[in-house]
Amino acid sequence: MTKWYEQEVKEKENIISTRIRLVRNWNEYVFPARLSERESVEMLGRLCDGLKDLGAQDGRHYTLASLGDLNELEQGSLKDRRILNSFVLARKAPMAVMISDNEDVSLVLNGTDHIRIQSIQAGLRLADVWKTVNQTDDYVNARFPYAFDEKYGYLTSFPTNVGTGMRVSVVVHLPGLSMGRKFPAMISDMGRFGVSIRGVYGEGRENYGALYEVSNQKTLGQTEKELMDLVGNVAVQLNDQENQVRAMTLAHHRLEREDEVYKSYGVLRYARKLTMKEAMTFLSQLMAGMADGLVRTEKPCSVYRLMLGIQTANLRSLSDRPLDKEELDVARAIYLRRELPELA
Amino acid sequence: MLCERCKIREANIQYTEVINGVRTEHHFCAQCARELDFGQYSAIFDGEFPLAKLLSGLLGSEEPAQDTDRLQQIQCPSCGMTYEEFVENSCFGCADCYGVFDVLIHENIKKLQGSDSHKGKRPLYQGLDAGAPKEEPPVPVFERDETEEAIRAWNRKLKEALKNEEYETAAVCRDKIRELKEGKKSDDKMV
Repeated sequence: MTKWYEQEVKEKENIISTRIRLVRNWNEYVFPARLSERESVEMLGRLCDGLKDLGAQDGRHYTLASLGDLNELEQGSLKDRRILNSFVLARKAPMAVMISDNEDVSLVLNGTDHIRIQSIQAGLRLADVWKTVNQTDDYVNARFPYAFDEKYGYLTSFPTNVGTGMRVSVVVHLPGLSMGRKFPAMISDMGRFGVSIRGVYGEGRENYGALYEVSNQKTLGQTEKELMDLVGNVAVQLNDQENQVRAMTLAHHRLEREDEVYKSYGVLRYARKLTMKEAMTFLSQLMAGMADGLVRTEKPCSVYRLMLGIQTANLRSLSDRPLDKEELDVARAIYLRRELPELA
Repeated sequence: MLCERCKIREANIQYTEVINGVRTEHHFCAQCARELDFGQYSAIFDGEFPLAKLLSGLLGSEEPAQDTDRLQQIQCPSCGMTYEEFVENSCFGCADCYGVFDVLIHENIKKLQGSDSHKGKRPLYQGLDAGAPKEEPPVPVFERDETEEAIRAWNRKLKEALKNEEYETAAVCRDKIRELKEGKKSDDKMV
């Protein structure tokens, strides 16, 4: 089954994915932080039972898993694919996840809130993603009345989610813009417009792969549409500006750009050891080169899928034995040699 | 610059200490910083720094000292959460907490969110306990894309066939998927 992140990215398109998540609480139970073990188990049972015909209703095929039954690697891999977050993984209570076959819809039950509904699609697809999330929300609500307040809206565990309970995130690839000296200042300035931008991969101040996530900071006092427009506008702006910067480098330094892309491809294709930083940097350059039409692969290739594939949790889960740091670098190179198609 | 503790990793945390007017500067990597004890600032180095915890500091420092004792005695009757616990974790215990602590948190929520009243979607189904018996709206029906669903179903069959090494069935599935996808593309163009 083609997962959402396996789709090829179109030319001139630097927008990788659109994700919307809603958090909701069932008004019959206290929030997860105050639920006893017994109540958690009881509530989970009732939720799973009530939601079991979701697949029959929306035409998707869901897999239900108790979080406790997944090993650390599977959990880590779900985190890399944005289905779980570190808040949820840090919790010890019984939790469950429902994931559709192509991972475009997922529900987390008894995470930081009772119900977390999420949908992801490749590219900028705000309206489609919202439609899916909104319909799923109504489906859940028809079975479980929500904790809702006239003034504060949907009530959530954290005051940072109250109101719409909605977080809209769009991931944009900005290899050109992010090289600019003013980029860090621009990112922090974005707070004034009510959006935050953060690097998706990297440690500390370093960013690997030039992927940035734009999301709404506030959840109360604006409608879902307003929040989507806000995040969508910023993402489109960044996409356009990135294209301008790249068009300029192409006009003046085409040879250098070509050289960079082919060198990156060469390293990815033939290296025997690749650190996370190296692999992400070269994949990012390849992604930009493909979007600018500088190189084409023989078979369709989603560079973003490769970026997800080389993450530690995924490489570890592909291996039948534990890997140390050096072995991981070797496994990463092997993975890329196997998955990267020939150039056309 | 390398971390002065492990001397292996790149230092990305600068720690400035001022004791009796003497200023000393230290450079640590994130991992060592986590292992060292920085008291109340330790939370910053615990993996991802949650925005919500930052709020605790803001909420906690807002109240004048003389009120603290009285405020800390307020407790939510539904879940037993105290205001002190709320400030510590920035996390509500139940839906009723919002009402119980409203006087204390109202201004802060407004500051945090830039608004204090919800706009946007409302739940369609809230049972019959909310005042006058309203007529329940019909059970929602998903607007479904039949082609997309057919593609998904064939994809499942394809996976199954490949697993069982039934390559002829797999080829049929693959052709069906291609046919449906092409049909969908030309449909899209017509719209």
